[in-house]
Amino acid sequence: MKQKKCNMNMVLYELRNINGNFMTHFFGIVFPNMMTMIFSRTIGSQVPEAARDKVIVSIMLSMSLVIPMSIMFIGYGALYSQEVEREVPLRMRLFGFHERSLLTAKIIAHMIFMTVAFVIYAVFQVLTMDMPKPAVSSVIYLLVSLYLIGIILLVIAHSLANIFRKFGITFGITMAVYFTLMILTGMMGISTEQLPQALQRVAATLPMTYISNDFADFWTGGPYNFMPFIQSFIFFGAIAGILLIYAQYRDRRVIK
Amino acid sequence: MLLTIKQLQVKYGKQTALQIDSPISFEKGERIGVIGSNGAGKTTFVKAILGLTAYEGRIVTDLQPEQMAAHMQSNAYVTTMPVKRIMEMILDTKIKENKELQELIAFFEFEGCLSKRYNALSGGQKQKFTIIMIMMQKAELTFYDEVTSGLDFETRQKLMEKMVEWYRDKEDSLIIVSHYYEELEQLADKILLLDQGKVVAFGRTGELFKTYCGDAIFVLDNNQINSNLTKGFRALKSPNHLIALSCRDKEEEKRLLAILMDNNVNFKRSNSDIEIMSINARERFYAGAQCRKD
Repeated sequence: MKQKKCNMNMVLYELRNINGNFMTHFFGIVFPNMMTMIFSRTIGSQVPEAARDKVIVSIMLSMSLVIPMSIMFIGYGALYSQEVEREVPLRMRLFGFHERSLLTAKIIAHMIFMTVAFVIYAVFQVLTMDMPKPAVSSVIYLLVSLYLIGIILLVIAHSLANIFRKFGITFGITMAVYFTLMILTGMMGISTEQLPQALQRVAATLPMTYISNDFADFWTGGPYNFMPFIQSFIFFGAIAGILLIYAQYRDRRVIK
Repeated sequence: MLLTIKQLQVKYGKQTALQIDSPISFEKGERIGVIGSNGAGKTTFVKAILGLTAYEGRIVTDLQPEQMAAHMQSNAYVTTMPVKRIMEMILDTKIKENKELQELIAFFEFEGCLSKRYNALSGGQKQKFTIIMIMMQKAELTFYDEVTSGLDFETRQKLMEKMVEWYRDKEDSLIIVSHYYEELEQLADKILLLDQGKVVAFGRTGELFKTYCGDAIFVLDNNQINSNLTKGFRALKSPNHLIALSCRDKEEEKRLLAILMDNNVNFKRSNSDIEIMSINARERFYAGAQCRKD
């Protein structure tokens, strides 16, 4: 019996698994489209005509963040923590699957599902919203950032589930983190500048803050200083990495 | 040598769950039955070898964790898809393209279950599902931890018949943990008897039986008449409702047999009864420990 590496069968299995999870569908596809429509109708109608385009773009960008946060964090955290509680990953490891292979398959499958959610979101925006045409580079920056945020969030949710081992605790923590992130990064209607100084510093370490607050400025093109944004990715990624290493260390199999 | 355990100790908090002082070795192709009452350390023993629990001491083996297959007491799978999809993913194959897997599925009469989800399977079907995949792994060492627990008598019997039949002419190395002595009589050629985390006995089933029970034993109902009839024969420790008599040679056996037949007494003769052997091994182990203490 050989150690099993990530393959197409595993990715298909994970896709079927995601497909059976209602939360991922609702929070990843229905929720961001619904929220964008509500926010753009209510807030968009209250701002002067000259600022309207920027506000609509800003709302669309903020709500696009809901997709990776819902699919890769809330949805995945809920699905995977239930599996951990029932010891499904242990069963998989006893069949020769390495933790790395399982995680890779999960990430690929979730990225495929997230791509479907992005396509639905984009089509919905084009059909229902009247917004300025973006520069190609801005769309690429946005997509790359959203995929990276998604991967980092999935790794955090995965590690939390492996550390706490209970659906209830993991779901509670991911939900609390989710809403905290939404408030800190300006996705709940309060802009980051309105937050107390200390919270602004915390918000500056999160890549979502820059997408939510700054990306609208160069949506149709123009310069942007990416350094703080990249630094926030390094910080956010480091947190995910540390949690993953700790979770894997705790779960290691040693025969000595 | 497949595996040697040296000075193994597993602790849960302050409590020692398993302590193996004398070295234990398993050869390739051997079938080890692990028995013991609840809390004896059987599952801890399995988990230690699989590298799933921290321990002190040494387990000397060339086997990597993924070279061992294990059917644990509880085996869970996702319930978001039919078990066929799970099986195909785990075995990285397509059932319709894999003749060997098709045969195994047919052998366990599992065809009708493939389109069901795991939570819709009965207890016996759930066990079969894992067993099929374990058997397909063709691992260097396979563990079955209480594979029939929670099943009704008939399902248990049928499942064991299938497993015995499957492994009959094969040379797989197995470690079978069970509460049911008759299962081990059918499958195991060596016995590891654990009690309260300690090794009470380990060896070939026949040799252990000879050590603790003699050449053969006769088991009959425990009542006054039978008790009077069999006075003078060596009584072994046995469950309260039974009398177990040990015979050291053929002559003694013939004498006892004649008495039982003359008096129309129902009895069971055995030279491999693991239950009586275990009871007496435990008795002698604790008596020895008491002597050493005194």
